[in-house]
Amino acid sequence: MEEKRILVVDDEEPIRDLFECAFTRAGYSVRTADSAEKALEIVQNTPFWVLFLDLNLPGMNGVDLCRRIRQEYPMAIPIAVTGYASLFELTDCRSAGFEDYFTKPVNLAELLDAAEQAFRKLERWKKR
Amino acid sequence: MKILIAEDDLTTRTILRGVLVKWGYEVIAADNGKEAWERLQDPDAPQLALLDWMMPEMNGPELCQKLRAQKRPAPLYIILLTSKGDREDIIEGLEVGADEYITKPYNNEELRARIKVGQRILELQTALIQKEKLQGVLEMAGAVCHELNQPLQTVSGWAEMLLLDLSANDPHFQALKKIKEGVDRAGSLTRKIMHISQYQTKDYLGGGSRIIDLDKSTKPVEGFPG
Repeated sequence: MEEKRILVVDDEEPIRDLFECAFTRAGYSVRTADSAEKALEIVQNTPFWVLFLDLNLPGMNGVDLCRRIRQEYPMAIPIAVTGYASLFELTDCRSAGFEDYFTKPVNLAELLDAAEQAFRKLERWKKR
Repeated sequence: MKILIAEDDLTTRTILRGVLVKWGYEVIAADNGKEAWERLQDPDAPQLALLDWMMPEMNGPELCQKLRAQKRPAPLYIILLTSKGDREDIIEGLEVGADEYITKPYNNEELRARIKVGQRILELQTALIQKEKLQGVLEMAGAVCHELNQPLQTVSGWAEMLLLDLSANDPHFQALKKIKEGVDRAGSLTRKIMHISQYQTKDYLGGGSRIIDLDKSTKPVEGFPG
């Protein structure tokens, strides 16, 4: 079976560690990046179809990052996880291409659920 | 609305009080500048003051100057009553901080109209102050929430992970569950507060109550019908 890869982008290390640990434990292969710029570098070499992006990032923000990723990989499923709900409107996130949107603190179970659904969707699209 | 009148002449004071009461105002009277100053230090002092120019203890312009030098909790609108129609006196009065002046003998309707102007200005000033205050508080609340959500996420997430590793019989299980529940409560609180800040920056000018009702102040999510 193909490896299920997830990219986590968050500028705070404790959050990256937490998400990495939770997704790894659930059987995913995880990469992390602390900025949008680094995330773009990573996806240039290895495509990621499921991504969890923080919105408030230094440099390029998560919404612009999402837009860039969706331009390059229209089938990618980016999911927003933000600490600051009022920074970007949900509508902006949807139109940038975010599949889903979570506000911190979020239950890991919900994120794992979102990841599982995303991979199921990708499977279904492949088999259409 | 409360109005302070500072006037040393008994007849003028009585007549003035009479017309103001007739127009529906609550009147607080002082017969000299010092007493007027004291009345204006009360916690619920009037926000509109009619000050006579010539008074014992402290005259109108002096009182005016002293009041303007003070940091007051609420805006104050000052109308100077002067029997001197002198342009220079009027200029002096306005320069020491009066908002308006009226020359004695005054016309009742003119006085009433000028008081109404004062009320309008006070309403605008009060609304502006309240709006600024609330906006500042809520912007700060939003920023604090944002900073709080990151550590809350870490605590909540690791508690969740640890709970997966423990059996319900483990003595630490219940303690961890309580930690998780506490963090979740804090999280739902920051969520509510952040939604208010969003609502607030768009449209909020209600007078009266200054207490934020977290449950009633959350904004519906954009982009959905109804």
